[in-house]
Amino acid sequence: MVIGLALIEVRGVSYSYPDSPSPCLIDVSFSAEEGEFILVTGPSGCGKTTFCKCLNGLIPNSYGGSFTGDVLIDGIPTTSSPIHEIARRAGLVFQNPENELFCTSVEREVAFGPENLALPREEIRRRVSEALSTVGISHLMHKSPEELSGGEQQKVAIAALLAMKPKVLVLDEPTANLDPVSAKSVISVLSRLNASGVTIIIVEHRLEMLAEIASRCMILDCGRIALDGSPREVLYSDLAERIGVGIPKAIVVAKRLGRGLPGDRPLSSRELASALRRGEAA
Amino acid sequence: MIVVRDVSYAYEPGRQVLDSVSLSIGDGELVALIGENGAGKTTLVKHFNGLLKPQRGTVTVDGTDTREATVATLARKVGLVFQNPDHQLFAETVEKELSFALANFGVPAGEASRRVEWALEAFELGEYRNRSPLTLSGGERKRLALASVLCYDPQIIVMDEPTTGQDSRQKSRLASLLTRLNDSGKTVITVTHDMEFVAEFIPRTIIMSRGKVLADGRSADLLVNRAYLESASLLPPQLAEISWELGLAEPSIDLEAVVNAVRGARR
Amino acid sequence: MKTLQGFGYRRGTSAVHRLDPRSKMIYVLLFAALAVYFANLLVLLLIFASSLPLVALGKVSDRWSRSIRGSLFFIVFIFTFNFIAMIFMSYPLLDAALSGISMSLRFITLISVFSAFFLTTSPEDLAQSMVQLRVPYDYALTFNMAMRFVPTLSREAQIIIDAQRSRGLELEKGSLIQRVKNYVPILIPLIISSFRRAELVADAMESRAFGASKKRCPLYVLTLRGGDYAFIAVTVVSFLLILSLRFVLGVP
Repeated sequence: MVIGLALIEVRGVSYSYPDSPSPCLIDVSFSAEEGEFILVTGPSGCGKTTFCKCLNGLIPNSYGGSFTGDVLIDGIPTTSSPIHEIARRAGLVFQNPENELFCTSVEREVAFGPENLALPREEIRRRVSEALSTVGISHLMHKSPEELSGGEQQKVAIAALLAMKPKVLVLDEPTANLDPVSAKSVISVLSRLNASGVTIIIVEHRLEMLAEIASRCMILDCGRIALDGSPREVLYSDLAERIGVGIPKAIVVAKRLGRGLPGDRPLSSRELASALRRGEAA
Repeated sequence: MIVVRDVSYAYEPGRQVLDSVSLSIGDGELVALIGENGAGKTTLVKHFNGLLKPQRGTVTVDGTDTREATVATLARKVGLVFQNPDHQLFAETVEKELSFALANFGVPAGEASRRVEWALEAFELGEYRNRSPLTLSGGERKRLALASVLCYDPQIIVMDEPTTGQDSRQKSRLASLLTRLNDSGKTVITVTHDMEFVAEFIPRTIIMSRGKVLADGRSADLLVNRAYLESASLLPPQLAEISWELGLAEPSIDLEAVVNAVRGARR
Repeated sequence: MKTLQGFGYRRGTSAVHRLDPRSKMIYVLLFAALAVYFANLLVLLLIFASSLPLVALGKVSDRWSRSIRGSLFFIVFIFTFNFIAMIFMSYPLLDAALSGISMSLRFITLISVFSAFFLTTSPEDLAQSMVQLRVPYDYALTFNMAMRFVPTLSREAQIIIDAQRSRGLELEKGSLIQRVKNYVPILIPLIISSFRRAELVADAMESRAFGASKKRCPLYVLTLRGGDYAFIAVTVVSFLLILSLRFVLGVP
């Protein structure tokens, strides 16, 4: 068996912003394989956003500051490569679509990335329509982002990154400004993308919407990785409760009912219901 | 006491945002105004302090018709905290930021500095007194924006999406602040689409949808009502969903009630 | 705020929208020059009138009129200033008044001409036309961004005004100096927010490989078509006719 590099390798990364004495990330190490769906969460100020920016090269290349350690995206080190090299492999979606979308039509917005890559026109056209249809918003192609709802805008942002055919999509609280229904809609797009092979790393507070979909969960606290494992392990741990993340209510109820041992860790109301029914039958 | 009678409002002809809305909020109530984006929630609360005047119908605050009062007069009674603190913060120091509203309302100097001291302490901003608001973190700025409105002691407090971007600890702190304010007699209205927050902390809910009031009553009753929630394009709070999934006879948004119901059902 | 609305592009399919930005640029440059050159009231009215068919055909009269109304404050200011200055310099009352009116008219005309342009030209097309005119892409993009964010700024300014009024700020209160100071709590958050936004947009652009290649390949390339040539011809002819009034009629 050939052991190659994981898709993402983060080794011993510590980082402080230029005008801040205290470090934002402390000795962070983790690796991600292709196809994973990683949920990242943690209390405010724990370094989640900084972490995301390290994954697409914005840190350290755009932000300066003091950066130690290595980040390799698809084998390419972020410290010695220009952002545009990294960005085409790791697409980053931000919180507020109003500051992410800067063109006057969805088509142009999605074309911006491929245009930057100087791809031939036919290829650009193809990528634009592919990206739009993958995300399910082909009908919005000629609309202006201003006319769209928050959820639709985020989907445009996602399509705009997909048009660059990245291997991994990193999302920093993409549903923060969305109402719950739009949030769910965006998350189901991500789930479909992951099923088709795109690696997803998403920072979120709304854990209940992602607990079942994610293949892995990481909790950051005070700049360090406090927990990293399967959602069942992490979300049921006492440490997660102590750190103070938004544990899905189904888990809270399950724990109160005495559940939580390995093998008996429902992540959603559906799973909780089946667990209880099985319990009764036994 | 806020009374909204048959209010309609449109930003542009053809874009009706409020359609014959009627409701009343009594003194000392703690109310959540929920609905999907575009339902008209923010438009409605802007009528409470006179930023918007109804095109049809009336809004009265403590007996005063809002069409006959200036925003400054109404703002004295109704404190509106906007969603993004960066839309408010401008002063050189935190202390000056807190005294802004007090100066605008002509509060005498002695009283004003007392209130500023109170706000610095109550919101744990004392150590930042002489710092620029820009140097504070996101969460601290949000606290400062809230503090600068509560500083001048309005009787009615309206908060627009106070929980966006807050983690669970910050939300609990916010909730206990709201409860403290409410206990001391203030009327508190939160506009939000954070169903979990409403379910856990706010006793009365008004559901708005497409410019109308869909339902108005106890959170415990409304938030487990599938018909209302679907009609307003809202997702149910997690405990409501759990109650339905587990087939509980009495769906509830209260953790203890759900746990006991399950335990009870198994006996 | 209303003035800003007269410059925010909205998607449209009118004939004016479809004209190449370069043709429209020729119109703007020539007629803005005329407006600055002439002081005669009738000629200025004529120049002003030239923008009206564009506004009407472009179906942007709504937002155009808002910008005109919004600049009322400036118009009054310009008139007053000119009037007083002329009186000071001992010109007769009538002359002072006419001078004031003609200055104001010049101002409205310029606003109208530029407004007609910006309302019907998408920032991307404008940037693309600049690139095709050999302006370096970075500058064209800067222009693009500035235009694109005008409506955003306008919206944000309104929110900030609402937020500060909710804290008791009364914009219309007090002496002239006080009224100017009243705008400090509006301008500072707006400026800071713009800086913050600039950072965020820069991040977003870098995340889409901005700067990856020196040679960008744009999705759409602008070409001048029949309608453009016709428009340019009409514009140039009108320009020459109006210009000739200077010599033929000795009109200042």
